[in-house]
Amino acid sequence: MAGKWQLKDHEAERAMFSRRLVVAAVFVLLLFAALIMKLVILQVSQYDYFSARSDGNRLHSQYVPPARGLIFDNRGKLLADNQPIFNLTIVREQVEDLEVTLDYLDTLIDLSDDEREQFANRLRRNRVPFSSVPLRYVLSDAEKSRVAVNSYKLPGVAIEPQFVRQYPLAELTAHSIGYVSEINRTELDSLDDEERENYGGTNHIGKTGIERTYEDLLHGTVGYEIVEKNNRGQVMRRLDRTDPIAGKNISLYLDSQLQIAAEAALGDFRGAVVAIDPNTGGILAMVSKPGFDPNLFVTGISSKNYGVLVTDNINTPLFDRSTNPYPPGSTVKPFLGLGGLHHELVDYEFTIEDPGYFRLPGVSYRWGDYTLRTAIGGGHGHTDLQKAIYQSCDTFFYDLGNRMGIDTMHGFMSQFGFGQNFAVDINYARTGVLPSRDWKRATRGEPWYPGDTINSSIGQGYMWATPLQLATAASIMANKGKVIQPRMLKAVDGVPYEPVINDPVADVVVNDPDYWRYIEESMSMVVHRAYNDVFREYGTAYEAIAMADREMPYKMAGKSGSAQVVGISQEIMQSEDINVSDLNKDHALFISYAPAENLSIKPQIAIAVFVENGEHGSSVAGPIAKAVTDAYLLDILQIDFAALNSGGDELLSLVDE
Amino acid sequence: MNSQDFLRQSDGLDSKTRYHKTIWRTIHTDPPLLVGVSLLCGFGLFVLFSASGGDVPVVQRQALTMVVGLVVMFIVAQFNVHFFRQWAPTLYAAGLGLLALVLVVGVEANGAKSWLDLPGLPSFQPSELMKFVVPMQMAWYLASRPLPPRFKHLFWSAVMILVPAGLIIVQNDTGTAIMVTMSGIFVVLLAGIRWRIVIAGFIALLLASPAWYIFLAQEHQKNRILTFWDPYRDPTGAGYNIIQSQIAIGSGGIYGKGYGEGAQSHLDFIPESNTDFILAVLAEEFGLLGILFLILMYLFVLIRGSYIAYAANDMFSRLLAGSITLTFFFYVFVNMAMVSGLLPVIGLPLPLMSRGGTSVVTLFIGFGLLMSIQTHGRSKSI
Repeated sequence: MAGKWQLKDHEAERAMFSRRLVVAAVFVLLLFAALIMKLVILQVSQYDYFSARSDGNRLHSQYVPPARGLIFDNRGKLLADNQPIFNLTIVREQVEDLEVTLDYLDTLIDLSDDEREQFANRLRRNRVPFSSVPLRYVLSDAEKSRVAVNSYKLPGVAIEPQFVRQYPLAELTAHSIGYVSEINRTELDSLDDEERENYGGTNHIGKTGIERTYEDLLHGTVGYEIVEKNNRGQVMRRLDRTDPIAGKNISLYLDSQLQIAAEAALGDFRGAVVAIDPNTGGILAMVSKPGFDPNLFVTGISSKNYGVLVTDNINTPLFDRSTNPYPPGSTVKPFLGLGGLHHELVDYEFTIEDPGYFRLPGVSYRWGDYTLRTAIGGGHGHTDLQKAIYQSCDTFFYDLGNRMGIDTMHGFMSQFGFGQNFAVDINYARTGVLPSRDWKRATRGEPWYPGDTINSSIGQGYMWATPLQLATAASIMANKGKVIQPRMLKAVDGVPYEPVINDPVADVVVNDPDYWRYIEESMSMVVHRAYNDVFREYGTAYEAIAMADREMPYKMAGKSGSAQVVGISQEIMQSEDINVSDLNKDHALFISYAPAENLSIKPQIAIAVFVENGEHGSSVAGPIAKAVTDAYLLDILQIDFAALNSGGDELLSLVDE
Repeated sequence: MNSQDFLRQSDGLDSKTRYHKTIWRTIHTDPPLLVGVSLLCGFGLFVLFSASGGDVPVVQRQALTMVVGLVVMFIVAQFNVHFFRQWAPTLYAAGLGLLALVLVVGVEANGAKSWLDLPGLPSFQPSELMKFVVPMQMAWYLASRPLPPRFKHLFWSAVMILVPAGLIIVQNDTGTAIMVTMSGIFVVLLAGIRWRIVIAGFIALLLASPAWYIFLAQEHQKNRILTFWDPYRDPTGAGYNIIQSQIAIGSGGIYGKGYGEGAQSHLDFIPESNTDFILAVLAEEFGLLGILFLILMYLFVLIRGSYIAYAANDMFSRLLAGSITLTFFFYVFVNMAMVSGLLPVIGLPLPLMSRGGTSVVTLFIGFGLLMSIQTHGRSKSI
């Protein structure tokens, strides 16, 4: 030990150590300097960049969806409401194993395969990271509490309140009001950038009916919120907010009481009823039956429920019968008759001798009279225009149509909206067909034959019209030619709405205004001309309407019609031995307006009734029109006809208001 | 070995100062070091309070750890440094024995099998002990030999450093192995190893590093190095920590966002914000000025440590004090460089700032040794 110590030079070693200490100190200072330089780069030179990055990390702009505007009927009853529901939502990024989470949720709230598939579809859509995706809309209270109690086992799963559409009348307004449903890819793609921005927070969009037509009014303007989110995407606080602007509340001309009455009047039939106020053009009722529950679509209809709706080939509940065309049959006769008067092809004295059929000169084919499917046979005999209308004499109109020619017929009938959509805000309504030479050449590549005119003159052949068009034509008739185009929207946020019509339809003008009175009288006879001793001189709908209600306080102008579905000979139709399938029976139609022939009050309601396979226009569709008219004039407007007829002028002014 | 008390009485200082010195001497405490360490502890708790989101129990536990550390420091300081010198070889042998024992009956935690759970003792990490036992052993070995050390002595020094380091690497605790190795290397460097050997060794290390990278490095180590060069190659995975940490530091600017206002940390964007990455919290809330203040406090402790090494009476004390001080610096620098993106991420805490248990106590044992060196058998003093 001592020997080793002798070898050491303590002073030299100490000096050496001190030098090393100095070198170490220099290193320490150099390294600290490097560190400080790096910090200066980060905190001074790159401060702006990192500051922005920090804000970008935590600050998120999120959409605040606007409340959708409510839809009211003409007397303030709600047709489309917003109701709070509780959705089960999942933030994908916060779930460790989605399958495990879904399996566990299944034990709590019974997830169907369908729901899982829909959820997977929603996940696949482009979406903002850390956004919540609905797994199930509408949780019951019991389900809500089961999920809430176990929420600690379910990171990323949340219960979120949301307002969704609710349609109180459900099936009754399925077609006319339509429905909203989850917005889809195609719809998003069809929006421009500004609109897409506006739909940033919106799950739903109007798909059909009014909901679609007035989507722009109802949707509103999206709001924004700047929120601070933590690393897990949870919102920690709200920093700024631009409130959304709620969609506008709209009021329709639709009267829910009348809508209910019309639906009830159709009974078990499939069909449609459209009712228009001729004074305003307002659509008072528009029913297509059977309907479906539009509420199912709002929160995503299950494929099982949807399957039921689309595979029902007979009832086709999704098909809107009120805006799709059918052969109008004899309901066109009053308009054609008016055209005959206007073009001086007939006058009040003109008559034909009806043998029960019509024959073109030099052609052996006989056009039979469809209205005469009775065992009696024969024709109407001595027939003028008035009788031709109230008895619905085909032969008279074959002759008139033949002499009028298709060009004149097309020109005159189109003024009543046939072949066109006069409706201001039902752009999805079909236009039907008012045939012409050009139309046939364009669509069939064939020339127009004289026989085509004969068929058209009783509303068959190529002629097709929607119940909405028929009601429109009836309302023009009720207005004596003044055209007020039909419309749904009455007011926006309580302010009466006057639509901008770029290309207004001209009024129908005839040579002698007395023609209007004459046709009205004829149509009134359809309903009111009673049986008498003369052969076939009663109104076709007398038995079903005026005779069925002898107390009827007002007069109604109407016209029945039947539209052939398939060509079945009269022998077979009348045969007792052969049962014609219900689906092959004629469609029954009826148009009407009321009150008619009343000097104290103008017509208040024009109606078209369509009954699928209803067979008889006068006895099946007629009473439906009567019931709807009763409901409107007597129950809703509560017009006191007894007082009116005794000359109460003040009452008249009340009604006009 | 022999008391210098008689010499001190004649150094001509006035009685008041002498009285104070006597007090501190008697309780074997170095006031400047105590002040520096206490300031750091206080600042550390202050920052931790914000980093933990105002979690009082966390701060209390850390404060308790620091009090335990201070007590341990006082106890260590009571022993004369020569006591450690005498016992150094024994401690070293015992340390190796415990490291070997860990391999057999060790308990695993956080991926490293480094804990020893002996009956009758609280569980502890023998590798942690080696942080001061290795420099002690090296100081003992080299102090009694002619300096600068001869090649033969350097060889045995290397063996004495690498055997425990190797045992710790086998435990899968690379961070501690690096610290233990560095604490030994610092002794060798201070003992006057020739520069050409140092440079040769450095070059050899550089040349060997590709081979290490290709053949020896584990997947996560390779990842860390790749991430260091380009954090954005995997911004949500391996690069996430360093990217978020740089955002926090950079967005702090010169003056910081204010105490408790660090959005990055309070919204949990910084992982490990209480431990390894606590500097990011400090940088975000107190800015560049806050970090400079912290560096100044560290510098104060480092300067005092260097002075104790410089003024020590014998070569064992000098080497030990120098190594402890440089190891402390190494800790501070590596953590700060890693958090600011100057070095790859190595899981090392920031001394006296990061939350943690055993490593804090180890640090205080180091300060206790410094105080022991300063207050025992000293002829001259400030």
